[in-house]
Amino acid sequence: MSHQPCAVVGVGQTHHKTRRWDVSLGGLVREAATRALEDAQMDWSDIDAVVLGKAPDLFEGVMKPELYLTDALGAHGKPMFRVHTAGSVGATTGIVAAHHVETGRHKRVLAVAYQKQSEGNAQFALGSGRGGSLGAGGAFAPYMRSYIARSGSPLDIGPMVAVKDRLNALKNPYAHLKLTDISLEKVKESPMMWEPVRYLESCPSSDGACAVVLTDEEGGKAAAAAGRAPAWILGTAVRSEPSTFPGRDPVTPQGAFDCADDLYRQAGITNPREQLDCAELYVPFSWYEPMWLEAHRIAEKGRGWKMVESGETALDGDFPVNMSGGVLSSNPIGASGLLRLAEAALQVRGMAGEHQVDGAKVALGQAYGAAAQYFSMWVVASSLDPFGR
Amino acid sequence: MTAPSAGTVEMTIRFPYKRSLGPVIGAFMTGLAGQQILGIRNGSEVMCPPLEWDPKTGKELDHGALVEVGPAGTVVSWTWVPKPSAQHPLDKPFALALIRLDGADTALTHAVDAGSIDAMSTGMRVAPRWKAERQGHITDIEAFVPGEDPQGLDDSRPEEPVTMMPYNAEIPYTLPIAVNTARNAVALKEKRLIGLRCPVCSRTYAGERGFCPIDTTALTAEHEVQLPQTGTLTNYTIITPVQYPGQTETEPFARCMILVDDSDLVIGYQPVIDLPVEQVRVGVRVKLVWGDGDIEGWQPTGEPDVDDPDLVNRIY
Amino acid sequence: MASDDIAIIGWAVSPMERRTAKSEQQMLFEVVTDAVDHAGITRADVDFTVAGSCDYVAGQAFSFVQNIDAVGAWPPKRDSHVEMDGAWALYETWVRLLSGDIDIALATGSGRSSTADPALIYPMEMDPFYLAPLGADAMSFSALQARALLDAGKVTERQMAEIALRSRASATSNPHAQVSGAFDVDAALQTDYVRAPLRKHDLPPITDGAACVVIARADKAREICENPVWIKGFAHYSELHNPGMRDLLTSPSTTLAAKAAGIEEAPVDFAEVQAAFSHEEVILREALGLGQDTPVNRSGGPLAANPVMATGLVRIAETARQIREGQGRRGVAHSTSGPCLQQNLVCVLEGDAR
Repeated sequence: MSHQPCAVVGVGQTHHKTRRWDVSLGGLVREAATRALEDAQMDWSDIDAVVLGKAPDLFEGVMKPELYLTDALGAHGKPMFRVHTAGSVGATTGIVAAHHVETGRHKRVLAVAYQKQSEGNAQFALGSGRGGSLGAGGAFAPYMRSYIARSGSPLDIGPMVAVKDRLNALKNPYAHLKLTDISLEKVKESPMMWEPVRYLESCPSSDGACAVVLTDEEGGKAAAAAGRAPAWILGTAVRSEPSTFPGRDPVTPQGAFDCADDLYRQAGITNPREQLDCAELYVPFSWYEPMWLEAHRIAEKGRGWKMVESGETALDGDFPVNMSGGVLSSNPIGASGLLRLAEAALQVRGMAGEHQVDGAKVALGQAYGAAAQYFSMWVVASSLDPFGR
Repeated sequence: MTAPSAGTVEMTIRFPYKRSLGPVIGAFMTGLAGQQILGIRNGSEVMCPPLEWDPKTGKELDHGALVEVGPAGTVVSWTWVPKPSAQHPLDKPFALALIRLDGADTALTHAVDAGSIDAMSTGMRVAPRWKAERQGHITDIEAFVPGEDPQGLDDSRPEEPVTMMPYNAEIPYTLPIAVNTARNAVALKEKRLIGLRCPVCSRTYAGERGFCPIDTTALTAEHEVQLPQTGTLTNYTIITPVQYPGQTETEPFARCMILVDDSDLVIGYQPVIDLPVEQVRVGVRVKLVWGDGDIEGWQPTGEPDVDDPDLVNRIY
Repeated sequence: MASDDIAIIGWAVSPMERRTAKSEQQMLFEVVTDAVDHAGITRADVDFTVAGSCDYVAGQAFSFVQNIDAVGAWPPKRDSHVEMDGAWALYETWVRLLSGDIDIALATGSGRSSTADPALIYPMEMDPFYLAPLGADAMSFSALQARALLDAGKVTERQMAEIALRSRASATSNPHAQVSGAFDVDAALQTDYVRAPLRKHDLPPITDGAACVVIARADKAREICENPVWIKGFAHYSELHNPGMRDLLTSPSTTLAAKAAGIEEAPVDFAEVQAAFSHEEVILREALGLGQDTPVNRSGGPLAANPVMATGLVRIAETARQIREGQGRRGVAHSTSGPCLQQNLVCVLEGDAR
């Protein structure tokens, strides 16, 4: 076995906005990467390899952008690797980067993911340029209807998630949406976009990027010794499954369970609700919070919405979810998965600022993609052995 | 072994992209609009076209350190394009060349309008021919021409800095039609609803599906089954259309999941007919309505709704 | 072999056609079925799959998603996708197996280049501000690189034609070649340029095709395979993008990758390189440190069949095949991406000592 510890020692992201017309494509990814390097107290020359993730090239009309962005990301004379696993891609980017460190291939790897949605149009690209595009909301709406029906959840749960995440976003300087006057009423009064999903229960379309610096055990320990807390990766997991077949249940996909089980086994987690201190989940539409809480075994079947209703998933609750404001507050699609992993890392490093969960030691970061069929997750912790194994 | 051909379908990916330029590319493009070519200092060298960063190290350059280069320069390599594409800057044969402008240490890629391949040589001197209408775009230089003297000089200077750039990509595709898609299209033309039943697990798939993903089994003509043209609405969404280039919808529309009778097949995201969006609900009995060679949608049969609490979970 | 070593245990290459009627899904179904069969396993034995494909080649966003139906993802599978040649997909599987917790992985590469005009697609992978708006395509950039080599005296147009002749003559025995057979160099040199100084014979064909390679960790490889082909080294490096800012006479990232893959540790018996344009073989031979007597592209290489997004993975499969068939013990496979060989990958393979 050549599996070695890997630590996150740098996290950076852009200020996410509808349009980042103040920067070029290269400028956007460099804004995130530069912040991650500064956080890691490294220079471009310290990085051994770069892994780049983004969702479809059709979104910006730049094919294989790892080619153009090689030198923007300081990767001249270095390995540059490109990942694309639909909406989960940002998280897969972080995981592929981690594998490069865990297997000893490289000592310091920069993972970068981005989307500059304003250059094109996601609705257009999702429909490959044809009319009557469902959009992601239209595709996922039936899943949410099914969840509501089977769980008996009150209809307020979705709007409650929408409010909670936007309140969290007010504490995150990088978040796109800053809805200072958000309220349950406002969400419920907002237009129905993809019934049962309302406008304010949906993610925005953002320009943005995220970057993470990963290093080996020596690098992680050196950062710790210098007073810069690392986030140690306890486990990573990915799963994919077919999009459709008779009897497939996309509300509780088998891949979501398998991915979580694989992850928890690696991390030594037998009771995720107790052993995890918080989770940053890919929730582009409000109802996905209770759905993933159940499909990743944090809540029992049919009880995910109760965690929302009781306030457990609020920032000051027992099990905070989407402390950053989540995808509901910032959605540069390709970067959204890496932002989830990055927020989990910030939490266990104690560097999440105003949206810090007190004493967070173990955190889950998760993303999913396509027809809820691609899953990428990691668990990070403030130490290599948080459970005293 | 060649697969039987089922014809092709034409399709074009076309979108008007809009790119933000940032500080350095923006300055360069603004320069072009004013007939000025800018490079950027990178240590002891000058890079043209300018980047925000040193491409060898990634280090940020001083974005203010822009210097005028050219306008004339030297061809360091070239090729001849005898049949220009729709994306090329000229619609007659031209040279694409790497041009090191005077005062620059790197080469700019651009067209050279030399008239003939015989007029081209490495080391030749070229100068820009400016367009009269300039917008701050790399094609504000229509092409370079042999010689030392720029052409098309005028007094026009941009009133505002250029910050954005349009990019219109258009790629026509000719895609082969998969055999199952073609067979399904024939069935639809004949107003037959067909499915494909997996020989291993007996699940039924839509007529154009290529494989049973459960058993990774190829689905072929021998697995074809005729399906009833009636079913039950199991789940749905009502979509408020947002506008985008190519959007055809203007009013809220329903997309429904239909469980086809006597099978386990759910056909996803179907239109409904004669069922106003406010009356769309789980359990409605529907029958297929044929359009011109395709399913137009599903229409209520008038039968009583199916009352089954698990129905809504049949999304697939 | 140490327990951390990883070997190729099976592979498959699809028919190479100017225009296939098959879907990408169908091509992948066939190569995955054939490759796991070749390895003596079933899809159920595979712990991890990675696909390499490109939306702009397919003409559809998220085109890879439907392909997992044919690769096999039930029960749910560890799986990934790279918007790169299948050679990089194999690189990801190799890194993943190094972790030690899983034993068998497969990588695919697939593309149907016939569906659109490469001159319209490939400008889209260039600098979106300075190059793409000029319609600057990969073939034109290759011609600029060829001209630089000619001007520097590193190759002649006749030598380029001879490389093409040798490749296509050698491809005659390759059932996966699309273009093969000898031609008259003198006559060929009289033909018009397509992109001066490149003539038709210097260019790759437009090819639809796919490939799949199956790898396993040492213990598993030995258990299920009589003659595994060992991955001795695997690395890839990139260079800055804009060809106008690079020295076009060399390929430093190829050399970096070759060194990182340990190419210098022992003599190389032969190579399969992704030289899609004849003159690129000259650059790559030098960058890889191969002598003139080292056979290169006995399969015919990309000049015989160029299934974009699989061309690099085919080089690796070809190298494995030649080793297993005794045409050499140590071979090197190369893949590339981007204008003027911007990004390069090297995989060094070895058969068991005899």
